Formats: sequence, C-alpha cells, structure tokens
Amino acid sequence: MDELAIILVRGLSTGAIFSLIAMSFNVVYSSSGVLNFAQGNMLVLGGLAAHLLLDSTSVGSWFAMLPVAAIAIGAVMTVQGYVTLLPMRFQQHSESWLISTMAVSVIIGATMLLLQGPIAREVPSVFPSFRVFGTRTPAPYALAAGLAVVWYVALRWFLRRTLTGLAISALSQDIDAARTAGLPVRRLQLLAFTISGLIIGSAGFVAAPVLTITGESGVKYVLNGFIASVVGGMGSNTGALFGGALLGVLTMMTTYHVGGEFQNLLALLLLVGVLMIRPEGIFGRSSARRV
Amino acid sequence: MAAVTDSGTAERPARLNSDALQMIVGILVIALTTFIPELAGNPYWSHTFQLVNLFIAVSILQNILLVDAGQASFGQGAIFGMAAYMVGIAFGTHEIGYAAAFLCGVLAALCGGLLFALPSLRVQGFHLGFVTLSAAIVFPEILVALNDWTNGINGISLSFSWLKEPGTLGVSPLSLMIAATGAAALILQVGLRRTVLGRRMVVAALSPEAAQSLGISPGLMRAVAFLIVAAGTGVAGALYPAVVGFVSPSAFKFDLSILFFFAIIVGGRGQPMGPIVGVWLLYLLPNILLAEFVHYRLLAYGFVTLLVVLMFPDGIVGWLEKLRVNRQRSRRDGPILHLDQLFSGREAANKEPGERSAIEVRQGYKAFGKVVALDRVDLTVREGEIHGLIGANGSGKTSLLNVLTGLSRINGGTVLVNGTDISGLPAHRISALGLGRTFQKPRIFPSLSIWGNVQIGLDGRGGDHTQPSALSIDTLRDELEGRSADWLPHGQRRLVEVMRVVLKEANILLLDEPAAGLSPDERREFANLLRNVSRRLGKTVVLVEHDLDLVWDVADRITVLDAGRVIATGTPTEVARNPAAQPLFVGSKHA
Repeated sequence: MDELAIILVRGLSTGAIFSLIAMSFNVVYSSSGVLNFAQGNMLVLGGLAAHLLLDSTSVGSWFAMLPVAAIAIGAVMTVQGYVTLLPMRFQQHSESWLISTMAVSVIIGATMLLLQGPIAREVPSVFPSFRVFGTRTPAPYALAAGLAVVWYVALRWFLRRTLTGLAISALSQDIDAARTAGLPVRRLQLLAFTISGLIIGSAGFVAAPVLTITGESGVKYVLNGFIASVVGGMGSNTGALFGGALLGVLTMMTTYHVGGEFQNLLALLLLVGVLMIRPEGIFGRSSARRV
Repeated sequence: MAAVTDSGTAERPARLNSDALQMIVGILVIALTTFIPELAGNPYWSHTFQLVNLFIAVSILQNILLVDAGQASFGQGAIFGMAAYMVGIAFGTHEIGYAAAFLCGVLAALCGGLLFALPSLRVQGFHLGFVTLSAAIVFPEILVALNDWTNGINGISLSFSWLKEPGTLGVSPLSLMIAATGAAALILQVGLRRTVLGRRMVVAALSPEAAQSLGISPGLMRAVAFLIVAAGTGVAGALYPAVVGFVSPSAFKFDLSILFFFAIIVGGRGQPMGPIVGVWLLYLLPNILLAEFVHYRLLAYGFVTLLVVLMFPDGIVGWLEKLRVNRQRSRRDGPILHLDQLFSGREAANKEPGERSAIEVRQGYKAFGKVVALDRVDLTVREGEIHGLIGANGSGKTSLLNVLTGLSRINGGTVLVNGTDISGLPAHRISALGLGRTFQKPRIFPSLSIWGNVQIGLDGRGGDHTQPSALSIDTLRDELEGRSADWLPHGQRRLVEVMRVVLKEANILLLDEPAAGLSPDERREFANLLRNVSRRLGKTVVLVEHDLDLVWDVADRITVLDAGRVIATGTPTEVARNPAAQPLFVGSKHA
C-alpha cells in the first residue's frame, strides 16, 4: 500500500514535468510542424537559471525570479526559433529543423559541459517537503504538478479565446490557407517558440531542485517529453497531461520493481508499443490518407 | 577528361548525376588515407584514419537508408555498437575465434536492424527518427545494466596485435578490411541505384501508394533496406574493437549516432562523397585543430552543422552538385516524350471493346465513420473500353478508384478485377492482376532519370519477362536514359505515368484526373493517346475526369456518381439524355 502510494505520488509528479515538456513541444509543433530537439536542454537551462538567480532561500525572491527565468528562456527560444525557421522558407528543405534543433541541442549541451564539467548544479528547495499519503514529497514535485495544470488552463484559454491564439490554432490545421488569409505566419510561429520557452523556462525553474542540471541530461528529458507527447497524441495538450502522467507512473514502477537503470528502456518500449497499436496517440486525431 | 565526356555525349543533355565519379573519387580517398600513413609508418595517423574510414562506411550506409530507402534512422550508432560489443563478448570474454566472433557481431547488428525495421512498418519520418534515436540513447544504459555480460562501465579489453602487423603491400590486414568495407559501401550505394531493388526502394520511399500500384510492398522494401544496411554497419562495428582494443559503453553514446547522421547532412544527403566530406569536417578536422582542447570538439561539430544547415541546405557536396547541374541546365531540351514512342511498330489495329467485364463492382459500400463515400455502387467496365467516371467533387470517384486499387477496403459488396475477387488482397497483389493507375499528382521520382521513371513500370511486370508487346524498349531507353525527370513539364509527366503503366503490361489503366492542369493542346493530344491506348493496344481504361468535353470525346461508356451513388450509366448519348445527370452539364455543350 505504502509502495503503491509512493509510486503513484512520485510517478504523477515526475509525470507533470514530462507533461510540461510535452505541452511546450505541442505549441511549436502545431504552429510549424517543428519538434524542438533542444527542448530538454531548455528545461535544464531553466534549472540553471534558478541556480544562478536564487542566492537566498526567501520565498519572495523565488516568486520574483520565476517570471525572470521564464522570460529569459522565452527569449533564448525566440532566437532559436528565428534560426530554425530561417531555412524553412524554402519549401524543399522543410526538414532542416530536425538538424538545426539537434545542432542547437548539441551546442547547449557542449557549452554547459565546458562551463561546469560533468558535475550537476544543485538548487536548494525554497519550500519544505511535505507528506502526501504518508509519503515525504519534495515541494518542487507538487509545484510542477500545479504548474502543469496552470499552463494547461492558460493554453486552453489562449488558443481558444484570444484572436492570436486562434490564429496559431489555424496554423496547425492548414498553414497554406492561413497564409492566404493574410495571417503573419512567421511572426505567429516565432511567438509559438516564445510561448514554448515561457512554459519550459518556468517548468525548469520550478522543478530545479529535482532536476539533473548537466549538459548531458537534456537528451533524457527531451526523450521523455517526446514519449509523453506521442503517447498522449502529438499536438493535444490533454494528451500531454495524460501521457506525462502515464509515463511518470510507469517510470516509477520500473524503478521500484525492475531497477532504475531500465527506466528509459521501459519508456522506449511504451513508445514503440503505442506507435505500433495507435500511432496517432491516445488523444490524437487520425488523419485520412491522401492520394 | 571533360573533352572525352563531351564528345561521347554530344547529343545527350547533362549527365543526371555524378554518382560514378563521386564513387571513384571516394574509393581513391579511402585507399590513399589507408596506404599513405601505413607506408609512412605513422601509427597515429594510421589509427586515426582507420577510425575515420570506419565511420565513413557507417555513414555511407546510413545515407542509403535515409535517402534511397527514405528511412529516417538516427540510431545507427546503436547498431554499430551491438556488433562491436558482440565481438567484445564473444572474442574478448569467451575467447572464441575472431572469425566466429565477427559473424556473431554481424548477426547482432542484423537483429538490431530488424528491431529498427519493426516500427518503420507503422510510422515514418521524424517519428521513426525519434524512436531510433531513443534506442541509441538507451543502448549504453543497457550495456551498463547488463553488467554480467558486458563488464559494465569498465568495458572489455581485447588484443588484436596480429591484425595490425603489416602484411601484404606493407599494410595491415585490419586497414585493408576497413578500406574494403568503406569502398564496398560506396559501390553498394551507387550500384543499388542501377538495380531493380534500388529503384523499387526509391519508389516505395517517395510514394508508398505508387509503389503498391506497381506491385511493390513498401513494408518489405523498408525491412530489406534496414537489413542490408544493418549487415554492413555490423561489419564495420565488428572491426571497431580491433581498431581501438577495447569496448566500453561510453564509446557508443548517442553522440556517435548524431555524428553519423550529421556527417550525411553536412556532406550532402544522397551524395556518395557526402559522408566522406562530413566525417572529415566533423570528426577529423576538430581532431587535428582541437587536439589540445578535447572538450571543444562536441561544440565544434554542433556549430559546423548549424552553419552548414543555414548556408548550404543541400550539404557541401550537394551544393557543388547543384552548381554543376544548374550550369548544364542551360542546355535544356524540348518535349522528348511523344506518342510515337509508345506505338511505334504497331499496326493501326482497331480493337473494339469486348463483352467480358474487366472490372465488376457489385453493391460496393464504403464508409469513413459516418460519411458514406460509396453507397451500394454497381459498376461494370468491359474489356477494352474507355469508361468515364464523372461526378462532382466528393461524389466518391477517387474513393472508388482507391477501392479498386486496394489502397482502401470496401465495407460491403464485392469487387472483381479480371474475374478475381480482390476484397482482402493487399494493394501490391491486386496490381499483379493487371491493374495500373496514375495519380492526380503525377508520381515522378526526381532522383531517377526519365527512363528510370518509366522503367519502374517494366520492373513491375508480372511473371513473363518477354519483350513487352507494345514498345521497342531499346529505342525508348536510348532516348530517355540519363535525362533528368526534374525539369519535365506537367503534360509530359502525365505521359511518363501512362508509359509506366503500359510498360507494366497492365491491361486495366485507372487514370485519376489525368487532364487536370493540361493546356488545350495537351488535352487534345492526351485524348488521342487514350484512344490509341485503348484501340491499338487493347487496354481497358477507367477515366476519372472533370473535363466533360474530354470524357464525351473519348469514352465508350460513362458512369455518373453523386454522393457515393451511381445515378446514371450508359453510352455518352444515353447519359447526356438522362435527366438525373443534367445538373452536371451547367455551362457545358452537352446540356
């Protein structure tokens, strides 16, 4: 019983971090079809921002610095978005994003490795850990879960209720029609990168005490975020919440019953399983085949 | 050199590609970098170039997989590592002979290739790329976890001194084997493009629908490509422990997979020389220039790749190749496909439609969710007739065509093609019954010559490989070989597709809106072509078309669809008189 509680609480809260990565994936993916491979590094950069910005453990400075970190990563991702979208103007090379985002990921990872070596940066938690179902739970986990819900609601409102959000949603459905209708496609896509940066930056900042902040860990995070996203259904934020939770619980179960070193293998098996049975994901829309 | 080429191809346009030249240069580069350091007796450079040429071989193989077979596998480092580790375990730990261990290594890589091919049956593109990349990320973790066999993080040391002794020609057997692997990979890439298998891979990669309509199973092509490439990567991987003397998990981190992939992109995807330039630029150059600053290497190759993507989207060799092609494009030729090519040597036989039915649809029913695309459709197409299939957009014409070709399945009713019930048959089997189709958007494959584009039809012929009835193949080959299909105008592309299905010896041709985008002149010529295909070659033609003038001009019989239902069928005059069909003729002379 205790064990089940630990698996569920820890699983769901780790899953919340995966959900946040998946949601930040989705914003960019639905506006431009780009899957940002550097998204995991952005999460780690968010954590690094917490390390650099938080010198005291006061709650006040934490709240003050949260938007600063989010905006900083938002700015970084806007620049990345500009670089990524640049060669995509030529239709035939529309897959250049794959390589450019991978290259950015390598650059960020390598730079961090140069600056801090293989040692992980530590960020102390401002808030004390507390008990859920008798399980001691570090506060950042709960905060990440809360943040995931906040961003989910905010994105839902933004994409459905505001004119700009609707325009971004329109891009995901038919980019050519959107262009013909006179929407500033590039600017909207760039904005999607910025929003994605705000999500991932805040996620990294909030979860910093439980993240592994090294140059190499970004790849693991992007992998988990991608799996959460595919399991839930690419482009669906509801799917992202669900996929993250599922992956988080599975990861915790693996750690307890098989061994932590098999975490990523099990996650990979989940990914392959979902793709074989339902390639569009649980909440994804299947698209009709065009001939 | 240039003069010889020019005089030899005086009347020919630009060479389609520089594959052969690149292959020769590539083999020379590999040979020189193998022989010079060894003969000069420099162990540092021989060791470095052994690694470089090994990486080049893996990257070339991935290039085949990525471009010729269209499979985005970013985890080739894991396949490479599987072979290397298997050799490490078999030879290093269990001390079985190197030859046997080598074989085990290649087998392990083949297993890896099969594992990668499995998801490729369901997902493609970046999805597949991420799955394979994930495998590459997980691979070193598994190596550490399987401590009992792999000796965990410490790895396994091996001794191969006998392979490194200078042998024949003053070069060690190991260097020779590595050079041979690299050269073989190049020859495989260029050679494959000239074989039926290679062409089929290209078709299956670029258009699975077209592949199926030509009798090719895309899934089979993917699996074959993965296995061929895995076998080659396995050979390279099995040689790796001999070069380095040990295997450890950190040697096969996902950075290695990224290196193989980036090398292709930086060099130029699809270009035989691409991986050589890529590995030199990303691995060798930082190794020399940043020898003192090991940590900066990763950063360097991230930056080089990013710069190349921004400045040379086609890669460096690809950019040079484009310059060459553009320079020669000025010698552009006029229309080179014409009707005579299709009918030369055929007497003007006038084959009238027969009485047997080529296609028979009874109560065909097809629904997508709640949308009924075909509502109990009856359709009979007699042998040798031109049958027009008309109706408004969304009336079910293309749905019917997809059912006939097996791209989608009916939910009820029966479909007979040449007397065989096709329900439940996969598309590529139906194609073998003598069905050929063209697409609304012509499926032209730019990496093949015009002849190659026509030839894939010839490749798809059924059992008998006699001279096709209709054409003088040799003449056609001479006229179309080596010409790029990239610059063909739209009307000519249609003709390529028709030629392709005629060469496939299909006796039923399904044409999906063939006149769309054709000029009035081209339409007249196309009508002429259809009459000839039907009357002189005796083919059955099903023509889905919006241009009613064209349909009334050529069709023997016409079927009108509306909202998934057949509302009229008969000769053109009968249909024109049918009141149910009247709404179609707004603004047309048949009203």
